[in-house]
Amino acid sequence: MTKLLQWLLGVSILGVAWGIVTFDILDLRLPHVYKEVAWPMPVYLLVVFGCYSLATVGYRVATFNDCEEAAKELQAQIQEAKDDLKRKGLKM
Amino acid sequence: MATGADQAVGMGLVGFSILLFAYYTVWVIVLPFVDSDHEIHKYFLPREYSVILPGVAALILILCIGTFIGVVTWKNRKPKKVD
Repeated sequence: MTKLLQWLLGVSILGVAWGIVTFDILDLRLPHVYKEVAWPMPVYLLVVFGCYSLATVGYRVATFNDCEEAAKELQAQIQEAKDDLKRKGLKM
Repeated sequence: MATGADQAVGMGLVGFSILLFAYYTVWVIVLPFVDSDHEIHKYFLPREYSVILPGVAALILILCIGTFIGVVTWKNRKPKKVD
């Protein structure tokens, strides 16, 4: 089973459950409160996902770091490459 | 390193999203279980708006993104070669 199928299966199960509660297809006689909570669920989940994404972006902005070790390593490698190319007769 | 301004902006974003999440959760999940004549209902708009407002916000967002993409592609278009 591919990931796509797994996701589609999960989403369709949730969607069917949502539809059953919201439109009362099976005539379950659920309390009215359930319906009240259920009908904005898709929008609610979307808003929650948006909040999570915004918080993740904000957190990463606040804790953004320099990579000084990596910068030194990269510069050393550039220097090495330049020396090597010069030895092979390339004019820089 | 992230400067002071970066940290302020980042933490501001985190705080804003947490506030929004808390308020919206109370609005959508908790309010139906509270009696309709309770004090707390004064602090929230009617229930329909919990879907209408995000819809309007999404519409505005999509319009802004579309305009942005349109402007960028318009500015970057290559002038046609005149033979």
